[in-house]
This record gives sequence, C-alpha cells and structure tokens, in this order.
Amino acid sequence: MQAITKHLRQFKGRKRGISTVIVVMLSLVLITIIVGNVVLWSYQMNQLDIDRMHENVVIKDVEKHASFGTRMHIENAGPLSLHIVAVWISTSTTHQRYDADLFLNSGESVTYDRDDIEFPKGAFLAKVVTERGNIAIFSEN
Amino acid sequence: MKKIDKRFLRNKRAITPVLSHLLLTVVAVAIMSLATSATFIITTNVRETMGERVIVEDVWFNSATGTIDVYMSNVGKANIQVSNVYVEHGSQSFNGQSSLEVNKHGWLRIAYSWVSGESYYIDIVTKGGTHIASYYKAP
Repeated sequence: MQAITKHLRQFKGRKRGISTVIVVMLSLVLITIIVGNVVLWSYQMNQLDIDRMHENVVIKDVEKHASFGTRMHIENAGPLSLHIVAVWISTSTTHQRYDADLFLNSGESVTYDRDDIEFPKGAFLAKVVTERGNIAIFSEN
Repeated sequence: MKKIDKRFLRNKRAITPVLSHLLLTVVAVAIMSLATSATFIITTNVRETMGERVIVEDVWFNSATGTIDVYMSNVGKANIQVSNVYVEHGSQSFNGQSSLEVNKHGWLRIAYSWVSGESYYIDIVTKGGTHIASYYKAP
C-alpha cells in the first residue's frame, strides 16, 4: 500500500510529458470530429441514393380531362411513398414544366386531374418528376 | 498606500515567467483556433462535394433558338454551380441558371448547332466535380 502511495505521489509530482498528452488528446478530438462528420454525412447520402433506387413511379395513361385539361393515371409501384413535384408535357414545338404537389403511398394508384394543363394535340411526351429525382415517362404518338 | 503602489511597480521579479506563460497561452489558443477552423473548412468542403445530386429533367433541342436547352434540378443537399458543359467532348459556352440552390431548378442554355436525327453526348460538370452525362437524340 505504501509503495503504491509512493508511486502515486511521484506520478503526481512529475510534470514532464503532460503537454504532449494534451496535444495528442486534442488532436484525437479533432480527428474524431472530422471522421464522424464525414461518415455520418456519407451514411445520409447513401440512404438517399438507396431510397432513390427503390422508388418506382409509372404513368399508366394520359387522357383529356373535361374540355381543356389533362388527366394522368399514376401508380407508385415501389416500396416507398413518393412525392411528385413536377409534370412535364413536351411536344414538337414546346417543352412545358408544371409544378405539382402529389403524394403517393406504396402501391397506390391515383387519377391526377389538372385543369390548367392543356391536353396536347398530336404526339406528346408526358413526364412526372419525384422529389428524390426519379422520372416516369409516357409517350403518345 | 502610495508607498505600496510604488514598491509594486518597482518590483520586477517574476515578470518574465508570467509573460512567458501568457505568450504560451496565446500561442496555444491561436494554434487550436487554426486547427478548429481547418477542421470546419475540411468537413464543409467534403460535405458539399459528397452532397451534390443533380438530375436532368428535360433536354430540348430548341429549333427556334438553335440551342440545346437542358432543364436541371438540384435534388441533393448542397448548392451546385455548373463549371463546364461538354457536347461531344468539346467545351461549349452556356447561359441561364448555372447556380442552383437545394431543391431549385432551371434551364441551362447550351450554344451548339445541332443536326436533326443525330445523337449527342452531353456532359455537365459542376464545381464540386459531379458529372451529369448522357446521350440525347435530336428529334
């Protein structure tokens, strides 16, 4: 017991090498912050990419709605719910983007009516864009 | 009281150790501030580069303007800035929305004389080094 107390006293009395230990500890803290930040961010971005890959949206049909508008039959065939943020109608003379705000649960099919989108005459391409960045295309010749 | 003050001012003993400790503290604090700033800058740069996700919503071979109009959308977690556009591996001039904040979108107009029926390899490069490249066929 006395020997231990003696060693402890000696240890407490010594001041050599303390600054080195402090520098190493502070450096370790900084390295941990950098690595932790990068790893967490990488994990978040990977999750975003995985979710995007699993998303599957399909336009079943596009038809005229009432006298002017456009009706779209959209299906979420993926395992995740999705958010449609834009609708595109492209013809040979114009490419028009319309903002949209439509949520679809997994496996859900909806009829999406837009009175402000003029149903195009002749051949056209209809697209819907999801918030995660996937695009579904429907072509009418 | 004045006598004590004078004596204190005249007494120069132990001033050097105090000054050296003070200087050491200032240097240590400065170095740690530098290290912390460097950490912040490094992590911010890495996060910005890793967080870039851009999609091309639409490509319009515009016969009215004679340009290739690309509609881009920023679906990532960092702002992007287009630095270069290549069509058929050649650098092209562009205008329009070259900077996009998160969840923003807009047209990028590429000056290129395209020919109907031809396919073009369009490569858009951001400042963070992300490439959005694909083949598109002119109608």
